[in-house]
Amino acid sequence: MRIKKWLSFSPDSLSLNGETLGVVGGGVEMLHELYRRKVGDYPKFFKMDMLGKLGFVASELLLQSEDAPRFVPREDRSVVFCNRSASLVADRRYQETISDADNYYPSPALFVYTLPNIVTGEIAIRNKYYGETSFVVLEKFDPEQIAMHVAAAFQDPVCQSQLVGWTECSDESHWQCLMLLVEREGELDRHGLAATLERMFTSL
Amino acid sequence: MGDDAMIVKLSDHILSPLGDGTEANYMAVREGRSALKRYSGKWHVPEPFVASLFDEEAFAAESSALHLESYTPFEQVLVRTIRAALENAHVDAASSKVVFVFSTTKGNVCLLDEHVSGFPQERVLLGVSARKVCAHFGNPNPPVVVSNACISGLCAQIEAMRLLEGGFYDYAVVAGADMQSQFIVSGFQSFKALSDEPCRPFDAARKGLNLGEAAACIVYARREKAQPEEWVACRGAIRNDANHISGPSREGEGSYRALKAVLAGFDAGELAFVNAHGTATAYNDEMESVAITRAGLAEVPVNGLKGHFGHTMGAAGVLETILSMRAVDDRCVLGTKGFEHCGVSHPLRLTAQHQSTDKRAFVKLLSGFGGCNAALLFAKGGGLCV
Amino acid sequence: MKELIEELKVKIIEALNLEEVRPEDIDENASLFGDGLGLDSIDALELIVMMERNYGIKLKDPAQGKEIFKSITVMADYIQKNRTK
Repeated sequence: MRIKKWLSFSPDSLSLNGETLGVVGGGVEMLHELYRRKVGDYPKFFKMDMLGKLGFVASELLLQSEDAPRFVPREDRSVVFCNRSASLVADRRYQETISDADNYYPSPALFVYTLPNIVTGEIAIRNKYYGETSFVVLEKFDPEQIAMHVAAAFQDPVCQSQLVGWTECSDESHWQCLMLLVEREGELDRHGLAATLERMFTSL
Repeated sequence: MGDDAMIVKLSDHILSPLGDGTEANYMAVREGRSALKRYSGKWHVPEPFVASLFDEEAFAAESSALHLESYTPFEQVLVRTIRAALENAHVDAASSKVVFVFSTTKGNVCLLDEHVSGFPQERVLLGVSARKVCAHFGNPNPPVVVSNACISGLCAQIEAMRLLEGGFYDYAVVAGADMQSQFIVSGFQSFKALSDEPCRPFDAARKGLNLGEAAACIVYARREKAQPEEWVACRGAIRNDANHISGPSREGEGSYRALKAVLAGFDAGELAFVNAHGTATAYNDEMESVAITRAGLAEVPVNGLKGHFGHTMGAAGVLETILSMRAVDDRCVLGTKGFEHCGVSHPLRLTAQHQSTDKRAFVKLLSGFGGCNAALLFAKGGGLCV
Repeated sequence: MKELIEELKVKIIEALNLEEVRPEDIDENASLFGDGLGLDSIDALELIVMMERNYGIKLKDPAQGKEIFKSITVMADYIQKNRTK
């Protein structure tokens, strides 16, 4: 394996391929500001839940930095995300629309985001990726376990690269996001990948 | 698939409102029974709905007899199905060579409802809940919880295959489960996806899906060879439509690509059937008819099992795989309950009645929100999957 | 009617998170779906909820939405005739 591009992002700092990028504001507003400054051409972004916005913005920054034509249909790239809280932020928001019997208006637009894998679908749609999309939930950030999962996902012979994400979001003002573009070919083994993930996580 | 590795099924179990055990469930399906019932006012959901739910009293009594009160209902069904599957697997679940892979879409989401009490809020976290189940069996490894919408049950099996083929573990316990709640029913109602009568997969008069509760478990092992009567999970693929987060692709793009990937080099004439997702929503079934036809499988029998169990979400991929294996063992292509007149643009080989078969392989197909699709090829004896 | 049309524009922007659209950008006679505002099937379902919550109108069959959500003018007309609150 080889790590082609990497990004780490918390409410306090954003770093892309080792360079620090400026962020403005906090919470979801920080994601909106980044979208407006760095993306700007995908209004569906504003319909996404917190997890979707986080994963989308991070993937945009990362993929913009890849020296490759974008939006070309391809099946050889997977989107493989994981976290601890699944879609908990969206789950809580949806629960609010049904918990009061006198104000019971279940919202389909909120409900659809109560599936954590929606963010991987959003990225596949944006980038025309027909490859694998998957979401796994772990008990905690565990670099060895994530690296094992990534190494295992390369057993699909079609998959040549993976957009790997730890996209953890426990409420609207707290998140941890590590995102890597990992290619099949390269010297890095899964322990090396785990060590990199560990280093990135520690510096979040 | 690795040159010298076969992923062999050691044992399985299904726990559903139709019965406790694979055999009980298979016989119920063979006899054409369904657990779908109409519920009015349940969980304060204003509109009536049709679903396949466990009987609450009987369920509580069974769990209490097993001393499972400290587990949520979702965890209870997992513990019960895993325990039963392990009984026939002869695997020491406490070994570090065994990994647990779970499949669920909403797990303990009912704990977000303030009317539900008695469990720590932390258990709404799938990893925490899964660890509790692993601990019941003394398993030391970090569990993997696949939460990939309605295709989770196949994704969990594919993850298990990869972890075994990659040599990370020797055995995998794959368990899928979902329990219904106001949260899930109201959400599907808001999507206008529920039928107010028992669902009718692929039928011209289909009106939508029914939700269901169930748990199912398969224990897999990595072996060099499989015996002729053993089931082998040959090849799996997950592909995205890259089209829309809730509506399936009109061209069946992701399902077609997943089918193409798992059937590469395989003679489709060896397939007993394709066990489809067949939710009985207008768009899903239509999409599958397109994808199956595009993949060159128009002549292969197709069936769907949602008419018996409803859509059991995270359990569906595991439960429907087990019943498909059991049907092939019985040389039977199960009929599609609720199907009468073809209501999809590409006529598939669907029947309401069971038919006989002498084939020894099948494909399980699923698709879900987020544009995800999965296909998995199974064959008996493994000789067919090279 | 004019007032209802203006009110609907604001409510639609809010309900559908059309963050970058202002009420004056919406042509009340233009198609809501397809090219216009780029709305999709989930937006259509969300509009059904919006009609129920604000105007007490329950659509049993989502296919009805196709006709009602043709444009804001058509929607306003339907709401005026059927509202219960």
